[in-house]
Amino acid sequence: MATVVISNLEKVYTESKGPGVKVVHGIDLEIKDREFMVLVGPSGCGKSTTLRMVAGLEEISSGTISIDGTVVNNVLPKDRDIAMVFQNYALYPHMSVYENMAFGLKLRKFPKAEIDARVREASAMLGLDAYLDRKPKALSGGQRQRVAVGRAIVRKPKVFLFDEPLSNLDAKMRVSTRTEISKLHARLGATMIYVTHDQVEAMTMGDRICVMKDGRIMQVATPLELYNKPENVFVAGFIGSPPMNFLKGCLQKSSAGGALLEFIETNDKAAPVRFMLDAALSAKGASHVGRDIIFGIRPEDVQDTGTSTAPNPAHTIEVKVEVSEPMGAETLLYLTTGVTNFIARVRPTDRFEVGQSVKVTFKIESAHLFDAATEQVLK
Amino acid sequence: MKTRGRFTISSGLMGAALCGYLVWVLFPMVWVAYSSFKADAAIRTEPLSPPRWAEIDGAGYVRAWHEARFGDYVLNSVLVTGISVALILVLGSMAAYALSRFHHRLGRLVYTLFLAGLTMPAQLAMVPLFFELRALGLLDSRPGLILVYSANGLPFAVFILAGFFRSLPRSLYEAAIIDGCSEAGAFWRVMLPLARPGLITVAIFQFIGIWKEYFFAFMIVGGGDGGARTLPLGLANLAITAQYRGDYGMLFAGLVMVTLPILVVYLFLQRQLVSGITAGAVKG
Repeated sequence: MATVVISNLEKVYTESKGPGVKVVHGIDLEIKDREFMVLVGPSGCGKSTTLRMVAGLEEISSGTISIDGTVVNNVLPKDRDIAMVFQNYALYPHMSVYENMAFGLKLRKFPKAEIDARVREASAMLGLDAYLDRKPKALSGGQRQRVAVGRAIVRKPKVFLFDEPLSNLDAKMRVSTRTEISKLHARLGATMIYVTHDQVEAMTMGDRICVMKDGRIMQVATPLELYNKPENVFVAGFIGSPPMNFLKGCLQKSSAGGALLEFIETNDKAAPVRFMLDAALSAKGASHVGRDIIFGIRPEDVQDTGTSTAPNPAHTIEVKVEVSEPMGAETLLYLTTGVTNFIARVRPTDRFEVGQSVKVTFKIESAHLFDAATEQVLK
Repeated sequence: MKTRGRFTISSGLMGAALCGYLVWVLFPMVWVAYSSFKADAAIRTEPLSPPRWAEIDGAGYVRAWHEARFGDYVLNSVLVTGISVALILVLGSMAAYALSRFHHRLGRLVYTLFLAGLTMPAQLAMVPLFFELRALGLLDSRPGLILVYSANGLPFAVFILAGFFRSLPRSLYEAAIIDGCSEAGAFWRVMLPLARPGLITVAIFQFIGIWKEYFFAFMIVGGGDGGARTLPLGLANLAITAQYRGDYGMLFAGLVMVTLPILVVYLFLQRQLVSGITAGAVKG
């Protein structure tokens, strides 16, 4: 299989007047052999454009893309040895399922027996045996999606490219197809680049995830690393559902003395929320005393003091309940400090009234501090 | 539907009106068709009655074919119409594809030029066209007529087909390119087959238009020894001569020979006018 190296890649759409619109700002990314790399980000972040440049469907404005050590900037899509699964499947409507899958091989002048063997192997793998003679219009959305995957598989390409392949499926199909693609990756052991805007897809499928925003890479890491060690506010807020809570405020030296720092919320309405940081976090924040800071904590790390095993009063604040959403396995509490809203994930057995005041404790060792100006995490 | 199978006064009236209209439209054609098998005397004495079984007479067809040179006219019409329609389809689809797929600075201008061709009455161009063809030595020849018909049909073809190509999702082209097609391959193997409803629409309209075209044919191949004349010219000729000879059998036979191919082509191709051929290409 193959490695894909993207270096200093830029994409500028030229306008008739003006300097043009830059949608990809010099990104560097290395996709290892047999890796499942997910490009994720909100719409307009340049993830699809990047994928299409790898495919050769968009011209590269500057920088290089190489596949297996060969720079492919000026190589035609058909000669890059890649296969792509499109968001709308792009099956040829005038060809049967069999012909759709065989088309690429036929164009490459494979012997008939070889084509037949490969198509049958792929259709068996994808459960499409019964539909080989059907036209795409006689298939369901999920089946069409599998044909699109089959068309890619038979080619045995160096790199598979997926452009939001699940976004046209209903929620249930999406979950099952997600697992199927993951299994397929394990089975084929191929290099795959997968574009999605759905962070759940990214987390569940990717070996590594590349989070993008406004044409720049925010962070590249494994799913758990992204979740537990976000580099910046964007990644922290993008990965995870419900997202990480952010409190804006500043740090000051604790009145108790020592090296410990205290967080004070920026709050001009009511009494600001304030709480102590632990030693590790204080060390990270030491350089930012007196400066604007963002405190980030995941909903599952906000525990109500009634049920927390050992509530630490130093990290406890008092807030109001705005909404309580029982999800079955857990309950989401929408809380407010009066200025900032945030979410806590609590046990479904805990009951809360709207408007009620509760004391919540932060699991402070899992919290993060971000520089408010650069939005980068403090290390 | 709730009202299905229920007879109401309004639906009855509607049905009666439609039946009346059907007879109104169909009768002249049927009358010409069966009259063409009657002897001349019978047409004059019993104009409306269908031919009796024993009296069916194909002599009108034989006379039309040989005496009125319909054999030559049919050949001319088939060649001129066939080649013109083929040229219009091939050139029109390529032009339409290029205009809809590639964005070139001059594309808009070329497209507008084609559209202008749709709006300009052909009669305006007749005089310069006549002299041009004479200078090229193409008067009274089938190639001259084919050239004019093809050029005249292109704007319509480009207009219809460009709309079709534009409606096809770009990802189909991209899939073909990645699968290993060249630009031309993507056009011939993927995009063109998908434009089939548009091609058939163009083919039907152009076939009918050219097969019965009189004006250009009269100006371009009406003179000389008449060796390049097409069926409409032949029919007009026949009508003029038959008028004085009173040979209605021959005239009706000629009419049938001109009309029948149009009906056959229309019946055959209209089944192929399957819209929604792209259904299933992408999520619908």
